[in-house]
Amino acid sequence: MVLHILNRSPSMSRVFQQALDAMGTDDRLLLIEDGVQGALPQLIPYLEPVLGRLFVLKEDLVSRALEGHCDARAIVVDVDGFVSLTEEADKTVSWF
Amino acid sequence: MTGLSGGDLLVILRHAPHGSSWLKEGLDTALVAAAFGQRVSLLFMGDGVMALLPGQGSGPLGQKGTQPTLQMLEMYDIDSLWVEHQALLERGLNDMSLSVDATRIEKDAISRLLAEHTQILNF
Amino acid sequence: MQYALLVQGSPYSYQASHSALRFAQAVVRRGHSLTAVFFYHDGVYNAARLAAPPQDEPHLYDAWAQLHREHDTELLVCIAAALRRGLMDERESSRHGKAGHSLEPPFILTGLGQLIEASTAYDRLISFSP
Repeated sequence: MVLHILNRSPSMSRVFQQALDAMGTDDRLLLIEDGVQGALPQLIPYLEPVLGRLFVLKEDLVSRALEGHCDARAIVVDVDGFVSLTEEADKTVSWF
Repeated sequence: MTGLSGGDLLVILRHAPHGSSWLKEGLDTALVAAAFGQRVSLLFMGDGVMALLPGQGSGPLGQKGTQPTLQMLEMYDIDSLWVEHQALLERGLNDMSLSVDATRIEKDAISRLLAEHTQILNF
Repeated sequence: MQYALLVQGSPYSYQASHSALRFAQAVVRRGHSLTAVFFYHDGVYNAARLAAPPQDEPHLYDAWAQLHREHDTELLVCIAAALRRGLMDERESSRHGKAGHSLEPPFILTGLGQLIEASTAYDRLISFSP
């Protein structure tokens, strides 16, 4: 399993599409930095193919006042959860 | 597409030449890895396919392009070169001959390419 | 596990350095070893020894140095990326006939080979880019 880390919002950049194209069926996607906007209900459809293995970083949601606005299908993890995701992955790829 | 080769390191290049140093620094990383005895593959993805257009030159201030580096890949035994077919099509560049011999890879095979390498660096 | 990080974002311009540092602190908190942080691309600016952020902002330079002090994390700066951006230690400074130096231990100028080594020798390599 590969952990893909995305720091761009789907509203701003098409990089998310590259990440999706590169993801295998068991791979996971973690949204960080501006990428957390992808967890908003209006934007999460872009990431529909990876629902169920879509994670979003809590600290980056909180600092942007977005935590209460997330789609429930995005799994919220804190930075310890981020480390834990990297423990479980064979390798990671960062998309920016 | 057949014979997806595995390797120690896959370097993904997603930026066009000249506009930023990502392409150049990604290629430099690949060369050093090869010099350290790693089996290196390159994937030109998205705007990275622009690196493969023949006829590129230096910038107006003499900034080096990446064409000379591409020509060095063979010397470093980097011969596992992949280019995203869809990205070529989207840019109308699919019929051009590329400056190095890269194999077209379809979208649905990219994840397999990633899986078959031990380490991935994305530029 | 042994972790290494690759940092490519300029501090204070992008969140990448903050993200990397926050991740680094969590890595050691969880009992892993953070063996090396490699600075490449604009990430080399993290090593600017004269960085003087306002007191009410996180001091990234000091925080990296603290990681080194407390956890023996190697702070490796790509020499090719650093020199062209004006970051050099005393030795390079005198070699280039410059009046001062902008980088000093615990940050160490090194080649890209060290990044390759980090990618093979350690269990995990995580990249933080702008």
